[in-house]
Amino acid sequence: MAKEAKSDDKTSLAYNKLVELGREMVQEIETNESPSFLTPVRSRSNVKSDPETGALYLGDAKETRTFVHVSQAKKFMQTVAIAAKLKSFLEQGLHTSIRGLYYQLKFTIGEDVDEELFSEQSESNPLIEDLEAALDLKREDFNLSTDRKGVVAGNMIIKDKFGGEESTIDASKQGRSGWMIPSDVDNGMEFVDIDADYVLVVEKDALWQRLNEDKFWKKNNCILITPKGQASRGTRRLIRKLADRKLPIYVFTDCDAWGWYIYWAIKTGSMNLAYLSKSLATPEARFIGVTMSDIERYDFLKKLTINAKEVDIKRAEEMKSYPWIARHKQWVQELDIVLKTKKKIEQDALQGQKLTFVGEYVREKIESGAMLP
Amino acid sequence: MASKENPEGMNTENGKAAIKTAEEIFEEFKEHSVAEFFTKNKQMLGFSGKVRSLTTVVHEYVTNSLDACEEAGILPEISVKITAVGEEHYLVKISDNGPGIPSENIGRALGMMLSGTKFHRYMQQRGQQGIGATGCTMFAQLTSGKPIHVRSSTGNGKIYECNVSVNIKTNAPHVSDMQEYEGDFRGLEVMAEFADVKYDRSEYSPLEYLKRTAIANPHAEIMFIDPEGRKVRFPRVSEMLPERPKEVQPHPLGLESHTLYELMRASPARKVSSFLTTELARVTPSKVDELKAVLPQFDFDMNPRDVTWEDARRLVAAFKKVKWVAPSAEGLRPIGNEQIEISLRSLLSPEYLSVRSRPPKVYKGGVPFIVETAIAYGGKAGARTEAGAVGGEIMRFSNRSPLLFDAGGCAITKAVKSIEWKRYGVGEFDTTPITVFVNIISAFVPYTGAGKQSVAAEPEVVDEIKFAVMDVARDLQRYLAGKVREETRATKRKAIIRYIELLSEHLPLLANTGKKEELQQKLTFLVFEKFKADEAAEDQKEKKTRVLMEEEGGEGEGESGKIEFDEEDM
Repeated sequence: MAKEAKSDDKTSLAYNKLVELGREMVQEIETNESPSFLTPVRSRSNVKSDPETGALYLGDAKETRTFVHVSQAKKFMQTVAIAAKLKSFLEQGLHTSIRGLYYQLKFTIGEDVDEELFSEQSESNPLIEDLEAALDLKREDFNLSTDRKGVVAGNMIIKDKFGGEESTIDASKQGRSGWMIPSDVDNGMEFVDIDADYVLVVEKDALWQRLNEDKFWKKNNCILITPKGQASRGTRRLIRKLADRKLPIYVFTDCDAWGWYIYWAIKTGSMNLAYLSKSLATPEARFIGVTMSDIERYDFLKKLTINAKEVDIKRAEEMKSYPWIARHKQWVQELDIVLKTKKKIEQDALQGQKLTFVGEYVREKIESGAMLP
Repeated sequence: MASKENPEGMNTENGKAAIKTAEEIFEEFKEHSVAEFFTKNKQMLGFSGKVRSLTTVVHEYVTNSLDACEEAGILPEISVKITAVGEEHYLVKISDNGPGIPSENIGRALGMMLSGTKFHRYMQQRGQQGIGATGCTMFAQLTSGKPIHVRSSTGNGKIYECNVSVNIKTNAPHVSDMQEYEGDFRGLEVMAEFADVKYDRSEYSPLEYLKRTAIANPHAEIMFIDPEGRKVRFPRVSEMLPERPKEVQPHPLGLESHTLYELMRASPARKVSSFLTTELARVTPSKVDELKAVLPQFDFDMNPRDVTWEDARRLVAAFKKVKWVAPSAEGLRPIGNEQIEISLRSLLSPEYLSVRSRPPKVYKGGVPFIVETAIAYGGKAGARTEAGAVGGEIMRFSNRSPLLFDAGGCAITKAVKSIEWKRYGVGEFDTTPITVFVNIISAFVPYTGAGKQSVAAEPEVVDEIKFAVMDVARDLQRYLAGKVREETRATKRKAIIRYIELLSEHLPLLANTGKKEELQQKLTFLVFEKFKADEAAEDQKEKKTRVLMEEEGGEGEGESGKIEFDEEDM
């Protein structure tokens, strides 16, 4: 975990690790060796799942990145250049996105930056991931910000030191909008006070707004989060931090493979980010619904099912193939029903009979303990 | 009298047209001389088309000059001059330093069809029929109305000058205005005027012909002056006079009925059996016994001169039923790897050249032949269009003589075009600067017509051409791959130098230690050590693969072209 960082940070853990990385390389060159560093193998072959919690993590396999090698030289050079830039961001106490990093690199390296690696659309960047995995840190620790997605409301006070100023945020006083979850909820962020019994993670923003309007979080004393679809790094990190404070995490999504996968990514982490599972995965999370079994429980839902899409079917088949999901009989049952009936139910359907039923549904599920692992 | 009812004006009786009797029809039948026949069919001699006709003239004279020089053991010096004397009307002057023609033979050599020393010999020779020079005389006569002018000396101090023409009806030469004087000259000079011909600088022109002749005859010095006075010299690049081909005996399987018939009718042997053993190759007494068994009704003791055409045909059929030892190729004289290489390098200055003069093969079981081939890439190789574009070119030769025309139907063209050039690293044959040289040597090159410009597609010949060309194509492929490899390595090296510099710049910024220049130096050393090792390993691997491929015998050739040998008679 990063220490509380100051701006103009020249002493944080992230800074020190970067400098140390560079020093080791200089030493290697001075002793006539190719500069190199070790990083965990991130390919699927080295992704394992914890037998107890199901959380995904990387095995012990490591690979070497080295400069004196015909196919690695260019990437290695870029990685070192990236590291040097990140160090300078820390020194300046400034943040930027991957795209900003790209232009900083292009300015000093010119043609030799692999444009494809710094795609605007994708935040996946293998060289940055190499550094994260090798140094056991997150890019947020290096002042790289990602697109934010996710909103929270609840009894939570946060002190935010940023841009040379400190602000206090009260997540219970954000009105209809809620507080947008930042990409970095660690460095410069202090969670001063949290008063809640549990955390409710709701897939869709529309349902979050519905529950927010009903003051669900106030009446039930919980933290209400929506990831707005697949959870961003910042949102996953926040959920993990809240779980660290022993708060139960309950997830509520559409009844389809897509929604369920959102749950599983929060719970076990994703394969792509398996190297960050320690910080981002929340195996303690439980699933409230919506499930195909809910159709039996709540009669009115029978009329409100719709056809599952091609992507839902594909996703369902994929999920059945993951051992960490397939171990759970109940989940396999749910997936089989989707594959058989080719139907799904959206969260929004719970409003069909009565708009305020959503809150009742959630409370009932939590109180009865009728949840999936 | 011709009229509407009687359009042919036939004699009528009772108003009906009379049918001519066979006798009456045949009264008008005249015997045409050979010369007359060829006059009406001059395209058979190669005089078809205005440019082609002019080139054929040059071809006939130059061929004769080369042959004569070689027979006399003289390194040829030939000069060709074409002057325009009117619209599509040229004066062609060709002179050589050969043995000359003795005065008494001038007429027959240049004014009589189907005469000449070459006709009956079974050996490798440039022109096969001895029609050539007289054909030119006739062509000159027919188009310009003038005889050819000849100047000749055998080097005995006496020079003879005269005019020669052909009496079309009698096929007899007509020599006129003969002068004799003293002088120091040895050789032959012919001046002839031709009309209805055209000179251009196309691929079918005399210039191209002479260029190719020079390629196939590196021992010859050729000088050409075109109608615009431009001089082109094809210098002699080899002092080696080629060995004369040997006259050989024909092999039973290489004879056609009429050839066998002619041979027997002219034979001094007293019996057919002794004709066979003395005048044909590979015929032993035991083979004659085998033939007797195949043809029991035939009298092998009869005089060969009494033999009928039908007998000859039966014998040819019988030959096919007996196993023979393959004919020897000892009479053949290929140009040879070294000479072809000297020649092509001198004329094309290619970036890459590979030559193969292959071992002899046999077609039809009885006719030996040799294929020589080369591939030239880059430099001046390839055909150039008017627009300046460069493309693939095929240079065809038979017995060192260029084949310029009738490319489409030629077995050489077909064989070369049937190769998958992409496999050899040549993207599109038609847009690559590449010249493929193919020369077929044989005592009997199979042509597709009397024009002798196109090789017939005998299966063994086609196969051998293909294998030969694929052989040199493989060499080219290796060269091109190596080139690509070199270019790739050069590009990689350039890139890595940049990466070293950039790394050396950024690392000190990251590490708060280290100096760019020192790091750069050390990294450069490390990297190039590695490069050397990597490239050496790559080269080793490539060598190993190549050796393996060669051991496997390349493209799986070798099975066709093998004949049943009867070893016992060897």
